[in-house]
Amino acid sequence: MTLRKSMIVARADLRMALQVSYVKYGLIGMSALGPIMILVIVSFVAFGTTSAVEALALLSLLSPTISPVLGVISIIPASLIAANALVGEKEQNTIEALLCTPLTDSELLIGKVLSSFIPSMALLLGTIAVTEVGSIVIFLSAGLPFSVNFLVPDVAGLFLLLSAGPTMILAISSVMILISGRVARVYEAYQVSGVSIMVFILPIIVPLLVMQSGGIPDANLVWLSDIATLLIASVLMTITWILAIGRFNRDRLVSLV
Amino acid sequence: MKNNFDQYTAISDQNSPTEEGTDFEVSISGLTKCFGDILAVNHMSLDVPAGCIFGLLGPNGAGKSTTIRLLCTLLTPTEGTALVGGYDIIESPVSVREITGVLPEEGNHTLYQTMSVYENLEYFARLYGVAEGEIPQRIEELLSFMSLWERKDDRAGELSTGNRQRLALCRALLHRPRVLLLDEPTSALDPVAAKRVRELILRLAREYNQTFFINSHNLPEVQRMCDRIAIINDGNILMTGTTAELRAKLHAKQIFRLRTSEDVARVSSIVESMAFIEYVRSDVDSLILTIENPQENNSILLQTLLSQNIKIIELAEEETTLEDLYLEVIKGGVDK
Ligand SMILES: Nc1ncnc2c1ncn2[C@@H]1O[C@H](COP(=O)(O)OP(=O)(O)OP(=O)(O)O)[C@@H](O)[C@H]1O
Ligand SMILES: [Mg+2]
Repeated sequence: MTLRKSMIVARADLRMALQVSYVKYGLIGMSALGPIMILVIVSFVAFGTTSAVEALALLSLLSPTISPVLGVISIIPASLIAANALVGEKEQNTIEALLCTPLTDSELLIGKVLSSFIPSMALLLGTIAVTEVGSIVIFLSAGLPFSVNFLVPDVAGLFLLLSAGPTMILAISSVMILISGRVARVYEAYQVSGVSIMVFILPIIVPLLVMQSGGIPDANLVWLSDIATLLIASVLMTITWILAIGRFNRDRLVSLV
Repeated sequence: MKNNFDQYTAISDQNSPTEEGTDFEVSISGLTKCFGDILAVNHMSLDVPAGCIFGLLGPNGAGKSTTIRLLCTLLTPTEGTALVGGYDIIESPVSVREITGVLPEEGNHTLYQTMSVYENLEYFARLYGVAEGEIPQRIEELLSFMSLWERKDDRAGELSTGNRQRLALCRALLHRPRVLLLDEPTSALDPVAAKRVRELILRLAREYNQTFFINSHNLPEVQRMCDRIAIINDGNILMTGTTAELRAKLHAKQIFRLRTSEDVARVSSIVESMAFIEYVRSDVDSLILTIENPQENNSILLQTLLSQNIKIIELAEEETTLEDLYLEVIKGGVDK
């Protein structure tokens, strides 16, 4: 098995995904939406408060929600590309020709995973970097001091995004491989991938629930829900990947559903 | 139109030779495929020597495409197996895929619509492991041969059906495979293009010993091109043989054309009642018949018809075609 063959598949897939306009503009739109939304909130915090203490207090309320939202937004593109990768080829009938090439099952599957993993990671890291740098600039221009506490996303959020983020992207790819033998249309695949993203809702909901019951989500709770999310994502990724590899069946991919 | 026919260079020698013990490039034994209750291919056994152009014929749903999909490892057999270039389709599917070129059924629908003509071929050349430096030349060679070079930058989805089929054929030939599995290769092509493809297939088989396994409904074409033929129905081989053997079978029965200016239906009702005549089919202005012992019975036939005032334009021996044989085999009229 060579990674070279998988890369050939991934590159071609990516080029094609970008030729589909709703994927392309979906990618651009989604990846711009996250940072814009968050930087607007950050500006509000930076310029709407009168002191650093007040700004930090407000930020500590908002931060637990900001990172998972960013996570959801940057994982949606991954699910779009992943859904196109195998099910799209099935819908277009190109899968038959692709399966006739000397690609092994693992070369093919790794290629398909890479085709959504590479751009999604690029988008995720890009989104984090833009938000992080943007918020620092905003805080500094509002005359607030530079410190770790002013990071948006904060340290817990960065941990969530950089660990559970890639894990979820891989999980969604394997979910797509898993369902590729069962669904015939890309929109069905989109629906399934949409459901998978819901895992990221957990770290949003937990702090919100606490706030709703009158409490203030403390750092421990935030870390706990982030780690829980990572665990769920890891379990999901492992199970779906094992199932995807074990159940992958060329017969079923070329047969009519 | 640039003709690069003469530049179409040899099959690459990167492929290892057929295993010892098998002289056949494709050797099918007991191959069976079920889809639920449907028995698409039923214990099929046949051998195709290297350099042979093999034609698989049969009505819709006979199992031709399923056979090709089994041979190119797209489907896994329910029972039995096959060797392609000496490699077992179950044990070494990757090796089988390396040495085969495939034109899937409705090949014109299996192209990447949004990629350009050139990109489609480039992508597959890489997947088939064609050396990077050799790719542009091979693509130009094939596209020029198929008169598609001027359209190399157009999206594949913008081509006409026939041109997409040509492109799919280019894709199958790109890595100079030892075995080509072509599912209805000329079905969407215009007569000129079909002729060029036939000539190319003949040339590749004769000069470069490439083996062709072709599904087709185009019987005159198969008759002209194929060295060996098998006719299948409901997944069963009804008849198989070399073209020479078929020809012998074809000459065993003499077929006549009775052309008349009368109503064909009326004439056929008279003719059908005669014991020495086996009615085959009717054309616009004639009946196609087989006549037992024609030396004696032809005159009886003519006398009978004349006595009933039927005007006959001609009663002539027809050149028997593969089509006639095919129709008889499918009806169950010819021994295996
Ligand atoms: N993926 C599949 N699932 C279920 N049944 C199938 C499948 N593919 C083929 N069949 C069935 O197997 C039989 C053989 O089909 P096949 O496509 O091989 O026929 P064919 O000889 O190529 O016909 P045609 O000349 O129409 O192309 C048919 O009865 C068909 O319905
Ligand atoms: Mg068919």
